[in-house]
Amino acid sequence: MRRIIMAALAAVSLGGMAHADTIKVGVIGPFSGPFALQGKNFKAGIDAYMAMHGDTVGDDKVEIIYRDVPAPDPAQSKALAQELIIKEGVQYLTGFYFTPDAMAVTPLLTQGNVPMVIMNAATSAIVTKSPFVVRTSFTLWQTSTPIAQVARDKGVDKVMSVVSDYGPGVDAENAFKAAFTAAGGTVVEAIRMPLSTNDFSPIMQRIRDSGAQAVFAFLPSGPTTLGFVKAYNQNGLKEAGIQFFAPGDLTQESDLPALGDTALGILTTFHYSVAHDSPENKAFVEAASRAIGNPAELSFPAVGAFDGMHVIYKMIEATDGEQDAQKAVDAVKGLAWESPRGPVEIDPESRHITENIYLREVAKSDDGTYYNKEIQTFEKQGDPGLAAAN
Amino acid sequence: MAALMNENAIAGKPARVRLAGSDLLGVAIVIAAAIAGYFLFPNNLALLTRIISIALLVLSLDLVTGYCGVATLGHAALYGAGAYAAGMAAVHFGITDPLAMMAVGILAGTAAGLLSGVIVLRAHGLPQLVLSIAIVHLFHEAANKASSWTGGSDGLASIAPDPLLGLFEFDLWSRTAYVFGVVLLLVVLIVLRLVVRSPFGMLCRGIKEDPIRIRAMGASVHGTIMRMYAISGAVAGVGGALNAISTQVVGLDSLSFTLSAEALVMLVLGGTGSLYGALIGTVSFLWFEDIVSAANPFHWLTIVGALLILVVLFAPRGLYGTASAFLERRQEARR
Amino acid sequence: MQTVLSIAVDALAYGMVLFVISIGLSVTMGLMRVVNLAHGAFAMIGGYIASYAARDLGVGYGVAVLIAVFGTILIAIPIERLLYRRIYGAPELTQVLMTIGITFCIIGIANFVFGPTLKTIPLPPELQGSINLGFRAVATHRLFAILCGLVVAGALWYLIEKTAFGVKLRASVDNAAMAAALGVRTQIVYAVSFAIAIGLAAFGGVVGAELLPVEPYYALRYMVTFLVVVSIGGAGSIPGALLACLLLGGIDTTGRYLMPEFGEFFFYLAVIAIVCVFPRGLAGRAK
Repeated sequence: MRRIIMAALAAVSLGGMAHADTIKVGVIGPFSGPFALQGKNFKAGIDAYMAMHGDTVGDDKVEIIYRDVPAPDPAQSKALAQELIIKEGVQYLTGFYFTPDAMAVTPLLTQGNVPMVIMNAATSAIVTKSPFVVRTSFTLWQTSTPIAQVARDKGVDKVMSVVSDYGPGVDAENAFKAAFTAAGGTVVEAIRMPLSTNDFSPIMQRIRDSGAQAVFAFLPSGPTTLGFVKAYNQNGLKEAGIQFFAPGDLTQESDLPALGDTALGILTTFHYSVAHDSPENKAFVEAASRAIGNPAELSFPAVGAFDGMHVIYKMIEATDGEQDAQKAVDAVKGLAWESPRGPVEIDPESRHITENIYLREVAKSDDGTYYNKEIQTFEKQGDPGLAAAN
Repeated sequence: MAALMNENAIAGKPARVRLAGSDLLGVAIVIAAAIAGYFLFPNNLALLTRIISIALLVLSLDLVTGYCGVATLGHAALYGAGAYAAGMAAVHFGITDPLAMMAVGILAGTAAGLLSGVIVLRAHGLPQLVLSIAIVHLFHEAANKASSWTGGSDGLASIAPDPLLGLFEFDLWSRTAYVFGVVLLLVVLIVLRLVVRSPFGMLCRGIKEDPIRIRAMGASVHGTIMRMYAISGAVAGVGGALNAISTQVVGLDSLSFTLSAEALVMLVLGGTGSLYGALIGTVSFLWFEDIVSAANPFHWLTIVGALLILVVLFAPRGLYGTASAFLERRQEARR
Repeated sequence: MQTVLSIAVDALAYGMVLFVISIGLSVTMGLMRVVNLAHGAFAMIGGYIASYAARDLGVGYGVAVLIAVFGTILIAIPIERLLYRRIYGAPELTQVLMTIGITFCIIGIANFVFGPTLKTIPLPPELQGSINLGFRAVATHRLFAILCGLVVAGALWYLIEKTAFGVKLRASVDNAAMAAALGVRTQIVYAVSFAIAIGLAAFGGVVGAELLPVEPYYALRYMVTFLVVVSIGGAGSIPGALLACLLLGGIDTTGRYLMPEFGEFFFYLAVIAIVCVFPRGLAGRAK
């Protein structure tokens, strides 16, 4: 059995060499279903990168193959990854919006000799599951830690934490709690609400009753966020002076038109704002807007995808188009570049991205659109989540 | 096939021989299809394994819905229980032998089946549907809450099953997982053929048609369906454990309402009340989904929707049900 | 005391929003005996039309609601003639398959046409902001939803119980063949009640949009909620549906307030308990 596998592997890598003219990259993400918007952003980021840097690296042509996993489904994700590796002969796997989908694929990487570039999935532990995983997005620990300091700077002592009850929510809560307590504040109460919550009025009432000066919240972007922010306004918490802190998922750009005035003044920390002021970002936003069609739909997964493609292009360059996962991953360890989000670097130890985290405030521009205005920078933030897990 | 079987049962002994023959034929067709799948799609074995795993869930659903007339949109609770039990046995208790994991999955599936049976049978019709929905949500929420055991929404990762029988590793190509799955499916299929044809199986059918009359005959409606629920749980447990072993990650999706609803769709698509209908429904739905979603990952849902509508319009008894009814009519016309 | 009152207000508001959205489904399931899983899809269409009318055409809220209701009915008519007519009286599972298929198609089309982002329906100034009830603030829009719920409940009850059409409808439901023999044009009765159900779905989709925002996946995301509410109430019964909405709204709100961590457990355990006590739904008729 083993001999057959080795022979087949050799055949695959030989095949890779013989067909070095086309390098296939498999993208697994949510392209339909409730998270279709995020998948669309993956595609926009990838298209933007290829529009700006061409679809060839050296003499090799890069071909993208998309596969859809509409909602977290590790079994389907794994089946598709296997199909991509064996049948389509992809040299790189990328995409991955959800943690379980990425987790399911990590055991395949060594045997398939394929590096995996994660464009979103934000649980710290994924990078430890295989030496061939590189991540160009963020972790909840990374984006939720700085906001604790911001809250302290605003003179807040008592905070109530409200998160959706699933992995990322729990991560956000733990990160915030750790940082806020370390900075001398108290988290008076921490509640986790079921993901399916539609009506947030009772939660708002609880926040009021808790006597906290501010609320820290994390919910997945989309309909729940809208309901939550609206309830925050309509139940008079804003008027009562209870401040609102959150990681940037809550005010992702594609939700801002729906949130409208209700979101004004909310403080979030995140790795990327579409309004980031730099020539790199201008070029990116222009290309990505063209790729996505409707510029209002552009959001953070696009920049994860854009930088993911940058990493993949560098890998292809380093391996000269040959299939060699180890060499490819080694080549991008410590790789630093100017991303649309600001200066970034792949941490050689964890293979996770080190990046600036920005404090932003939702503001209204002159033409009536809303944007995340960056007002403070926390430079070169790594992932505190890995250290916390050990 | 269902109608044919009834007819044979009435006709008595000579028919039984023919029936055994048709059984062998069915099993032979499944074996042939499995071998063909192995050689025609050697690069898609992971998909085929997933189809087998889901097919076991749909078969299990058919036992209670198709044979006993119990309406349920919460059958994934049984499947997920099997998957999580097998996964947790491997991760937390070091039970990494695939056969032992399978046994754990079957036990957990049976237990979950009995539990949901007790609750679901408290009502009929729509309220029954709601009970089943409540159960699958409770299971889902429990797994989400117990994240130190189940991994919560991140999924239960690092399940590392030993080589099967100490010889065959679960590899990138999924060959072992596929063969393992095919063998399991065949065993389940043969056992279920015996079960549904037994007096017990006939009693279940009777209950579906007319529970009052069965009760008047002196049989226990509740007890009979509970037994079927236990068998159904065991079958779903096999599917779930197979999923845990072959994927090596168990996610909350395996306990979801969505999976339950999809299973029901596949069952109705194939045709309720016959084991082959369940198989054909699963294979055609997942295979179709795979093709259209690869062809257009962005807008394939519309095409799947259209397929379901077309099936209702042109094959109202499901693919298999309508086909077998058609064949039967042809046969009768020839007579 | 304040807490109790506060929970009561939230529960009433949430329950009435649920009622407005799901009462149409109660009509299709109870009176027309169609398990219409596409109900949410029609509510979503209503929401999209209202959003388009109010945002892009700039018409007033009231007009947008009307356009949404009639627009959705207009879209639904060919669907009824071509598809639903084939499944009246078919086994429930067949109906499930057909209506899920319709839902998938509508989701796909909505995603393609309107894109995957959230759509809002701008409220008129009168409905924005909140009203202070003395012990707490409540969104004006919530009070409007409560009012809508009461009006819908009253009007429907009158229509079904007191008018000639209601008599024909009930006759057709109980025994279509006999009703037809007595000169009731059952096809028309069915078509009209289908239109009413769809109109109610669209209306609910628009009024409830503040709570359940409009996006392509709306149709599936809230399907379970609608199904649970209608079944608990006893399909086809308006007082039953109203009672179920208030009860479930109350349970849900109390659970979320007192122990949000276990909100889901609380809700579904209560659902199981209710069904065990009332196996035919709160106001279900014996078959």
